[in-house]
Parts: sequence; structure tokens; C-alpha cells
Amino acid sequence: MSKSIRQRIAEELTGPALPFVAFCIALNLTAGQVTAALKIPLYLDSIGTILVAVLVGPWAAVLCGSTANLLAAAFGNPTMMFFIPVVAVIGAFTGVVAKLGWFRKWYLVCLGGILQGILAAMVSAPISAYLFSGVMMAGTDFLVLYFRSLGNTLMNSVLYQGLASDPADKLVSYLIVFLLVRNLPQRLLARLHGAANLRTPDPTP
Amino acid sequence: MILRIDLSAKLALVGLLWVCAFMLPWAYQAFLCVLVITARFAIPQLRPQSERSSKAFSRFLLYSVAVATFVILLNSMLIRGGATMGSILGFSLYEEGLFFGVRTASRLLLLTYAVLLFFVSTPLKELIRFLQQKGLSPSFTLILLLTLHFLDHLPARIHQIFLAQQARGAPVDAGIVSRSRALLSILSPLVLSSIVESIDRGTALELRGFLNRPQDARLITQPTAERNALTIILLAGTIILLLATLSRWLLG
Amino acid sequence: MAARLEISSLSLRYSQGAPLAISALSLTIPEGSCVGIVGPTGAGKTTLLHCLAGILGKHHPGIVLSGRLQIGDVAYEGFPRDILFPTVGLVLQDPFVQISGVRDKVYEELLFTIENTGRGGEGSDFLIQSVLRNLGIEHLANRKPTTLSGGETQRVALASILIAEPSVLLLDEPITALDATAQAKLRAILKGLHGKTTVLLTDTQIDFPLSVCDEIVILDQGKMIVAGKPRQLLSDGHDLANVGGWKRWGRITARLKDLSHEASREAPRILKALGLR
Repeated sequence: MSKSIRQRIAEELTGPALPFVAFCIALNLTAGQVTAALKIPLYLDSIGTILVAVLVGPWAAVLCGSTANLLAAAFGNPTMMFFIPVVAVIGAFTGVVAKLGWFRKWYLVCLGGILQGILAAMVSAPISAYLFSGVMMAGTDFLVLYFRSLGNTLMNSVLYQGLASDPADKLVSYLIVFLLVRNLPQRLLARLHGAANLRTPDPTP
Repeated sequence: MILRIDLSAKLALVGLLWVCAFMLPWAYQAFLCVLVITARFAIPQLRPQSERSSKAFSRFLLYSVAVATFVILLNSMLIRGGATMGSILGFSLYEEGLFFGVRTASRLLLLTYAVLLFFVSTPLKELIRFLQQKGLSPSFTLILLLTLHFLDHLPARIHQIFLAQQARGAPVDAGIVSRSRALLSILSPLVLSSIVESIDRGTALELRGFLNRPQDARLITQPTAERNALTIILLAGTIILLLATLSRWLLG
Repeated sequence: MAARLEISSLSLRYSQGAPLAISALSLTIPEGSCVGIVGPTGAGKTTLLHCLAGILGKHHPGIVLSGRLQIGDVAYEGFPRDILFPTVGLVLQDPFVQISGVRDKVYEELLFTIENTGRGGEGSDFLIQSVLRNLGIEHLANRKPTTLSGGETQRVALASILIAEPSVLLLDEPITALDATAQAKLRAILKGLHGKTTVLLTDTQIDFPLSVCDEIVILDQGKMIVAGKPRQLLSDGHDLANVGGWKRWGRITARLKDLSHEASREAPRILKALGLR
């Protein structure tokens, strides 16, 4: 019999998962501090969500991403609230590909990152177009302007901008998480629900 | 029953303002934006709860004005319909684009100001208490509270790891490739130590019986809530506005 | 109320085919007494405590366990597969993680434990004040738990478990982060618990257990090497090279005995105080 959503969430949120999800929410909000100190042009604002998706599960990742955006809104950037559906999709998709074992091989990680980026661009485009007219006060606004100047509609321009930048951004985040988790000791991971996502299956029956 | 601006009333107000953002003409939206900013200063219960909130409010106001200006200008330039309203730096501004930009900007501002006003005037712990009262499970409440705990300590831990890595020669000032490697050398111990700490903390919570905690035992203490007439009035206003807009749309 | 603890032939592997983490350990701890488990790193001390608290059984489904446990009148077939709180309370090695992080005051931290057991309400305040007083931390009641020193945090962590009135209290290397003053305070607390709670503590050095335990068990590579009262262990002259501090105590007691024979005035008094005469 298929499990209810409540049962699935309860399975994922065991004792150690609760503080780990809380840590990853905080990491989403503070990872920018690390990249800023190193002067690297990355935001890594989904790195915690991806970590939770791989090490705990998709439902916990949806919770992590949504809560991080809610808190970002609470801390003075209310526009983040509107992108909760985007981070929820990031968490859910990453959790699913992690369950399929994609985080065991680097090339599958790359594929997953690109697909994730495409999906994120498709979900964020209507939000960005309708609410913001594609203006996010970031460098990518010029891409939107460029596509619009070519005669594309606002929605298509925002979508093309997303497709141009999001896959690369998510690919980098996925690779960073892959490099972080691949050498974690199994005895530690065994306490988190998503440990099997990283373990190579036993070939003997 | 009471009549005051408490958390439930503020949430109802956000709901009403959001409905206004989608249902009312842009002039009303702009007027409501001005009212929201005025309320931040005029109504004590809607004032920022801390210096940090106050700065966040001011910072976002400036940011939103810049965003709104860009939205209006870009749409004026790119949606070429109606009369020419003027030009900037050689780019003509069109009437259709201008009105589209103004409508988008006013809606965006009202949506974001409503949320901003709510959050700057509401301490997070008060919000968590409220959610708990409305049925948020102990596990979710714990996650929220622990997040606040980690947000207090994580920046210092990151800084400590950064200094430790720098001391052992991590290339924090070299080229982009070297700095990217340094990124991993900072994130790796941070993530590993967080997993170890999470396992220990999770075990400690279990050892104190948290997972068997009665569902109705409040994780964060709160006073008994009374029904607020203002919340009911605001909710009623929201429903009336929705129905009025719907009927106007149906009747053409 | 204190409970008698009986461990019969405990053997433990973390998985099928893995080496034995604990090998045929049998131990009886009378109710209300304090027993110290001493051994080097990797001896199996923490594994033993986690097994008794039910953590291993719950979180390591692949674990291979044999033996029997009895706590008071309750016998567990095999070993527990769920956490036995509040019957068994375990204070972890790192007291900082024992603090929940969700309460703003030490008083509320203790209340958190009471609520978890479903016993919140009238009587909670009396219980909390009583525990704070017994541990000498009443002055910390309104302090934020995250601002406490190592010794203070250790005592609050201990209080957060004692508030549930466990029959058996397990302490995993309780003096790791403590200075001499804090150790002395913990010693006094444990002596105060004598008769009220059965205590099992672990350490890599023998010094602290010698000063507070009724019996000491030496563990190495999962096997019990020797067990006995402190006086008996010291005077029997065992060769326990792997036990931290053992050689030092051996030299001290040997030197004191020499001094005693040489009619030193202080040596007989010290030997008597150590229970060696």
C-alpha cells in the first residue's frame, strides 16, 4: 500500500534529520558569506536544499528550501517569498534523482544539474515575468532585455534568460554537493534517511 | 472578543493587501502602498521590532523604488503601442508600455510591502508561537527554532573555518580556480561537522524523549489567544472584495 | 528510584562478520551504586552505554547483539531496540549538543524534558527548583544555555536528564571538558546521587572513577579485563598498562607504602585516606 505524505515525511525526519535540516536552512541563508569572502561569483543559496535532498529526502528538501525562502523574506527580502515554488521544485526534483542513485556518478550529477536548471527556469519564468517583468536587479536583467529587443514576448524572454543561466548555476551547485558528500563516512550517513542514495548497491543477490 | 492589531490581524491584513494587489486598479494599489509605508511609522504595532528590522525596511524601500523604476522604464521602451510619451537617452517611451509598467510596478510594490510590513513588525519567535498554536507539529517547530539558533552561530563557525584554512595555506587570494578549491576546503569541514553535530543533537533529543513528546505539548510557550474582531473584519473585507471582483467579471 | 542493572553475556558486532565490539560482558550493578568503566579509546565504553540506552538497537538495524539485560524487574530479551528514556538516562560526551537550542533559559531547558515525558503542569516548578538546587546551579536558572561555560553546561546537561528521574544514569566521559574545580563539583553531585540513582560512567583515565565509584570495571578491546572495588584494584597490583593513569597510581601507592615503612608521618594518613591500609 502506498504511504501517505505524512508517513513519508515522518520517515525522513528522524532524530538527526531535524537538526540537519535546520542547519541546511541556515546554510542556504549564509553560504553567500563564504562565496563573498572568496570573491567567487556564486550564490549557493540552494546548496542546503540540495544537501538535504541527497542526504535526507525530497520532502525534507521541499521543507528546507521553502523555509529558507520564507526566512529570507522575513530578514528583509520579501521577493524571495514568491520563489518558494521554485525552491520546492528544486528540492523535490533533486530528492528524486538522488533516490535514483544519480549522485553516485559525476556524469549523472552533471545531467541532473542541467535538467534541474531547466526545470527551475521553467517554474521561475512565469513568476519573474508576471510579477517582476523580468527585472531582478541582477546582471541577468540584460539578458532579458536582449531577448525582448529581439522581439520575443516578456514570458519567452525571461524563460530564455533562465535557460541560459540556471542550468550552469545548478550544475555547479550539484557538483559542489557531489564533491562534498562522496567521501562522507558511511557510518555517519547511515543515521540519515538518504544514506542509501550514496551507497553503491551490493552486486551479490 | 478583542479588537487589536495582533499577529492574526496582521496576517489577515497581508491577505487583504494581496487580494487588492490583484483586483484593484493601479491607482488604488499605489495609494495602498503609500498607506502601508505611513502605517510603518504611524501605528506602533506595525513599527519595526528591532534596529535590524528598521534598516532592512529602509534598505528594501530603496531597492524596490529602483526595481519599480526599471520595470516602468523597460516596459515603456519595449512595449511599443499608443502615443510616444517622451524619450530617455534616445529611447522612446510608449504609452501602452508605460501603463503596463506602472500596473506591474504598483502590483509588485503592494505585494512586497505587505509582506515586508508583516515581517519587520513581527518577531520570528512570535510567528513560530502562532504557527504552533495553529497546529504546526513539534518537529517542524523544532526545525524553525533550531534554524534561528544556527543562524546565530553559523557565521562565526564559517569565519573560524575560513581562518583555519587560510592558516594552513588555502589559496583564498589566488586565481578563481584556486579559490574554488578553497571553497570546498571550507564547505567540507563545515558540512561534515554539521552532520556529526546533527547526529549528536538528534540523538540527544531522542534521549530526552522529544520524539515521543505529546503532540499538544507546546515547544514554545505562549499566552492564550482570544478571538480578534479586527482579524474577522479584515478577512470579511477580503472575501467581499473577492466576491465583488468575481461578480463584476462574470457580469462583464 | 534506583534500579539494579544486570548485563549477561553481552556480545556485539556492528554487522554480520564485523569484529566483536563487545565480547561476552557480564556485569551486575547494585541499585543506587556508582560504577566506572575505564579503558582506552576504542575499548567499547561508549558502545556499551549506547547499547544500554537503546540507541544502538534503534539506529543500527544491522547490529548483531546477543546477551540479556535486566533493569530492575524488567528483563529485555536480547537487548533493547528502542530508547529507554526515562528509565535510562544518558548524558552524552559533548554536553553542548545535549542542550536543545530551542529554549532561552536553563529553567525552560529542564521544563523541555518534563514536557517530553508528558508530565508538564503543576509540580514541574518544584521539581525543577529541586534539581537546580541539588546540582548547585540555581543561579543559572535564568541564564541562556548557550552562554554557559563547559562545566556549567555539563551540569545543565546532567540536570536535563536527572529531571526525568531515571532509574539508571549513564555518563559518557563526563569530565572531558572540565577543569579541576568543575570536576570537584561533579564529584560532589555524583556522591549526592548515591543510593538514589544507579550510575554508570566511563572514562579513559582512572583518576576520577577512583575518587567517586564504588566499583571499577576495566575494559579493553571489548573485553572486561578486571573488575573490583578501587582499594582492591590498587592493592592487587594488576598490570593495567592500557589504563590511563594506572602506572601513576601504581607509583604513588608503591611510594606511599615505602614511605610508610620508613615511618613517614603523612604516608599512613594518606594510605588510609586512599583506603589502602
